[in-house]
Amino acid sequence: MKKILVFVLVGMFVTVAFAGCKTAEKALVTFVFAKGDAVRLDPADVTDGESITVMDNIFEGLVKYKPGSTEVEPNLATSWEPSSDGLEWTFYLRKDVTFHDGTPFNADAVVFSFERQRDENHPFHKYGEWDYWGWCFGEIAKTEKVDDYTVKITLDTPFAPFISTMAMFTVFVVSPTSANEWGGQWFTHPVGTGPFTFVEWVKGDHITLEKNPDYWGEKAKIDKLIFRVIDDPSARLLALTKGEVHGMEFPNPDDLENIKNNPDLQILSKPGLSVGYLAMNMGEDTPGYQEEFGDVRVRRAIAHAINKQDIIDYLYKGTAIVAKNPIPPTLWGYNDAIQDYEYNPEKARELLAEAGYPDGFKTNLWAMPVSRPYMFDPTKIATAIQADLAKVGIDAEIVSYDWGTYLDKTDNGEHAMCLLGWTGDYADPDNFLYVLLDPDSATVGSAGNVAFYRNPEVHRLNMEAVTTFDLAKRTELYKQVQVLVHEDVPWVTLAHATQILVFRSNVKGFVLYPTGDYHFDATYFEGEG
Amino acid sequence: MRNYSALHDTIRYLKKNKGAMLGLLLIVAFILMAIFAPHIAPHSPIEQSLKNNLKPGIWANNPTNILGTDEFGRDLLSRIIYGARISLSVGFIAVFIGMLLGGTAGIIAGFFGGKIDEIIMRIVDIMFSLPSILLAIVIVAILGRGLDKAMIAIGITYAPQIARIIRAETLVVKNTEYVEGAKAIGSSSIRTMLVHVLPNVMSPIIVYATLSTGSAILDAAALGFLGLGAQPPTAEWGAMLASSFHSITGGYWWVETFPGIAIALTVLGFNLFGDGLRDSLDPKLRI
Repeated sequence: MKKILVFVLVGMFVTVAFAGCKTAEKALVTFVFAKGDAVRLDPADVTDGESITVMDNIFEGLVKYKPGSTEVEPNLATSWEPSSDGLEWTFYLRKDVTFHDGTPFNADAVVFSFERQRDENHPFHKYGEWDYWGWCFGEIAKTEKVDDYTVKITLDTPFAPFISTMAMFTVFVVSPTSANEWGGQWFTHPVGTGPFTFVEWVKGDHITLEKNPDYWGEKAKIDKLIFRVIDDPSARLLALTKGEVHGMEFPNPDDLENIKNNPDLQILSKPGLSVGYLAMNMGEDTPGYQEEFGDVRVRRAIAHAINKQDIIDYLYKGTAIVAKNPIPPTLWGYNDAIQDYEYNPEKARELLAEAGYPDGFKTNLWAMPVSRPYMFDPTKIATAIQADLAKVGIDAEIVSYDWGTYLDKTDNGEHAMCLLGWTGDYADPDNFLYVLLDPDSATVGSAGNVAFYRNPEVHRLNMEAVTTFDLAKRTELYKQVQVLVHEDVPWVTLAHATQILVFRSNVKGFVLYPTGDYHFDATYFEGEG
Repeated sequence: MRNYSALHDTIRYLKKNKGAMLGLLLIVAFILMAIFAPHIAPHSPIEQSLKNNLKPGIWANNPTNILGTDEFGRDLLSRIIYGARISLSVGFIAVFIGMLLGGTAGIIAGFFGGKIDEIIMRIVDIMFSLPSILLAIVIVAILGRGLDKAMIAIGITYAPQIARIIRAETLVVKNTEYVEGAKAIGSSSIRTMLVHVLPNVMSPIIVYATLSTGSAILDAAALGFLGLGAQPPTAEWGAMLASSFHSITGGYWWVETFPGIAIALTVLGFNLFGDGLRDSLDPKLRI
């Protein structure tokens, strides 16, 4: 009797053990990436990389960039054709796509996504600022549905970089059903067509996305994608070394040597399409305006007072090159003939004296609270600049706010000087010289031009350049803009940084984009699925 | 037979207490360092030289920067010496503000009793329900960043504890015969409080103030670390820790270690001395 019981028990154990083996499904693959927190998750209503890099995975546009480049290829539109005058663009849409909430993707969704930004009478228009629309899409007169799967976009003026801009996050197509349901709160409930669906956003802690099982294209290789908010680069690196996260952005340059020597980690780097700069507020109508900065001699003095080379060598630790132009040298149109203001405190003091400030003056210097691809530790750079300015008698107080507030306040022009930077959204100087330095972008409240630099000649050249289709001629025009910017010094251009991401060694498939976008659909762990 | 006064007595007991003497020594050393900072410090605390950033100190044969340099190439030793000025003055001023606010509230509450006592002590209770550093952060958020505001914020957070101690002492003292006597000969309330009550409730305050100075320095460092206290380029120990802690993972241990040691030693000094003072001022603890 006892023996039988033993047999039965053993039998049961064996069955259970094997049953376990048979039914055990492949564990879910979770990928955790450490970065700063997003500001909003409405693709049309953000300007910051931290939000964009999350949304790259949730949403898609009509066209997209080839992985790792700025070349445009079909995405939600299978093909497109411009009219002969370049004013009417017809897009033919994919027919097999649905949004994450089940809404079918069609011309109505495209028209909704575009018109809500353009048309002030659109019922959704009131829920956003739509900064980018004004910066990059002002030439769009209207977007119309031709039939269910054909959309026609009409432009006011020919716009040379138009098709490149169509790959930007601003014109990602959003689900009209879900947007209308949430209204002003939609930016916390994003619904797109992308390879990942949105699960939750715990502000300041994490954003979770899940693989979209019904994705029309090649499905994501990881099941769950978590963006963990770790603001501090050292803390990120610790989490990565311990294996708590599998990837991170913008390591501290001090740590690069250690990362290289760690076999568990790999570095991905690529020259970025970016610029980090110090903007000096020239806008008399802004709350932060100081009359000193209205004088070009003061601005030139500041350009002479800052020792950029030392900042690059000892703070960027060689992960950047000194910037003399607002556009990076990797971009066409770069004016290499420009001679940068050399580091010369003596000359700076002379210029200040000439301008009537022999003893300098008091001012403020704003520094971003987060590391950005173009500036890994803004406070440190601000401190270095502060000391350089102190040498010529300028007493600058460092001011900082949390990231969202910082952007709002600098858009309002509440600063005298502020550090900021820019990563190009498409490979065209227009994206830098128009968005960041054109009078059109210097509207108080939604400024991309936070120097509030308003040179009508810059505007004329910019306009001529976007309505010209001859590349050689455009190059010439943009070179002239750079000459003007160099003479007027609305910015002290600081650095063009290299984009650096660090991953665990077993992470494969991730590709860096010059635009700083993160697409995780092709990412996988070596040795797993 | 010589007649020892209470003060003599206290000093005699203090002298016997080795811990307290060590604490006093540390405090005096840091105070001297703060006063004579411009004479002792080998370099300017804010002059940077990026070329020399993150250089190790004397242990790596660098006689110019004994404790090495920070991430801006500023001399660490000089920054620590100048930092003593900031930290000590923050400690003293914050505690003084706390004593002024808390002391006034406590003595009034204890002396008058009744409704006034009730109101003051409930406010104190509300302040107690918030963690002190959190309260300080809230106050700084309202007042704005900066060292002066940090001092006020810390002072306010110390007030409730001081109010409570003084109130308890006042309750005891106000029923003594000499206070009754003073009242009987027509001394005004204010005069009675200042002349008869206050001197007799001082000893617990002195102990508490000494101990608090240590924690006020620590709180100021915490606020500095969070970027709410001293603003760059001021050499403040907490801010020094904060600005350089990125460097620690890169192997530059000195930028973090020395300001940390400075904070620890100062706070230790005040704590040891405060403990000794309590032992010698409280007759119940003497055998």
